Amino acid sequence: MKVLLFQIIISAAVLAQNINFNSPENIRLFADFLFCDRDYLRAIDEYEKYLSYSDEDTIRFKIALAFSAIGDQYNAIKNFNSLQETSKLYQISRIEELKSLFNLKQFSQLNSKANELNQLKSDYSDIAKKIVNLSYLLNNESMPSEKIFLEPFDVQEKTIVQNFYFQKTNPDYKSEVLAGVYSAIIPGLGKIYTENYSDGITSFLLTGLFSYLAYTNFNNDHPVRAWIFTLAGAGFYAGNVYGSIASAQIFNAKINFDFINDVYSFIEEKKYFIPEYDFCK
Amino acid sequence: MFFVTAQSQTDWVRWGKSDPDYKISVETNTKQFDFSIYTFGDIVLKPVINAYRFFISDVDGDNCPFYPTCSAFLLASVQRTNIFQGTLMFFDRFSRDTNIFEREKHYPFYGKHHFYDPVDLYTLDKDLIKVIPAATQVKETK
Repeated sequence: MKVLLFQIIISAAVLAQNINFNSPENIRLFADFLFCDRDYLRAIDEYEKYLSYSDEDTIRFKIALAFSAIGDQYNAIKNFNSLQETSKLYQISRIEELKSLFNLKQFSQLNSKANELNQLKSDYSDIAKKIVNLSYLLNNESMPSEKIFLEPFDVQEKTIVQNFYFQKTNPDYKSEVLAGVYSAIIPGLGKIYTENYSDGITSFLLTGLFSYLAYTNFNNDHPVRAWIFTLAGAGFYAGNVYGSIASAQIFNAKINFDFINDVYSFIEEKKYFIPEYDFCK
Repeated sequence: MFFVTAQSQTDWVRWGKSDPDYKISVETNTKQFDFSIYTFGDIVLKPVINAYRFFISDVDGDNCPFYPTCSAFLLASVQRTNIFQGTLMFFDRFSRDTNIFEREKHYPFYGKHHFYDPVDLYTLDKDLIKVIPAATQVKETK
């Protein structure tokens, strides 16, 4: 029995795994696995460990991509910038940098970087133009003419982008003044104008109810009650005019919010027009 | 075996993108009887609000569908603006409070039973308006 036990222990030691998991090749394999599994934070750690053995542009590019994927755009830009001009991935990294700048809403820098790409006569100039033109939709600078704006987009994209252009140049805002005036004429009408239908009807009923109560109490010689109802009615009337103006402001803020979301969804769906490259095939 | 189990990795879930998390700062006090006077509005309002909270709200219970509650909204709006504008904001809030229809389409949720309707939306300062989509859940940051 003792001999058998001794043999098992000895053979276990002999057959034990002798793979060096910390060799550069294995670190890279593991990092690639994590990257393809979209476990980006851990992948970055492993890739950085690999860089201490071998400095490769592809690895730097992957680190930058991983940072970009987890939303750390500052580190993504830093890593995209670390690629050498001689690298095959240099030009595509410039486009990825534009994507990060777009996400950071640093539009002036985005413009200057895109101009640099155009001067280089890069293969990706058209993509840069598309990203720059879409950035006009999100900043407060004046829009270029429709022709210039639509120029870089292909036929399929044009219809959607043209719609964005119209929404930006003619936003579907509600006038705050008009909302206030409408509510001053008929209580609640301003809220109906800003598409808060049930609030508008409630305001109309409340103001009407308190006005009616004040009127009947004055008629029936109950001045104290009548004045209380008058004050309440006047409060609801004035509050409703005020609320209609606020409601128009909120409506307009929602229009902006939805518009920005739509633009981001579109560009996300188009994957920032960046040609597909897949490190995980 | 126990040692290995205790030390082993438990974080097997991949870190991925999560849905946007709308966080709000704790906006108003919750029914503290506050007697401090800083402005003219405090002189007029605080006795009224304290009396309302003591004699009505505490007895009646937590029935306001909104967060901040209407009394807290009144106090906060007067503190943020002035007694005149704050009162108008309160009347507007009160009429919205009376409306029981389509609330889910207009307001985000705060907790299980309240709609989030902050003062910032109604001060007429456009820069303060932060849109939170209706029917999303907001969380407090502390």
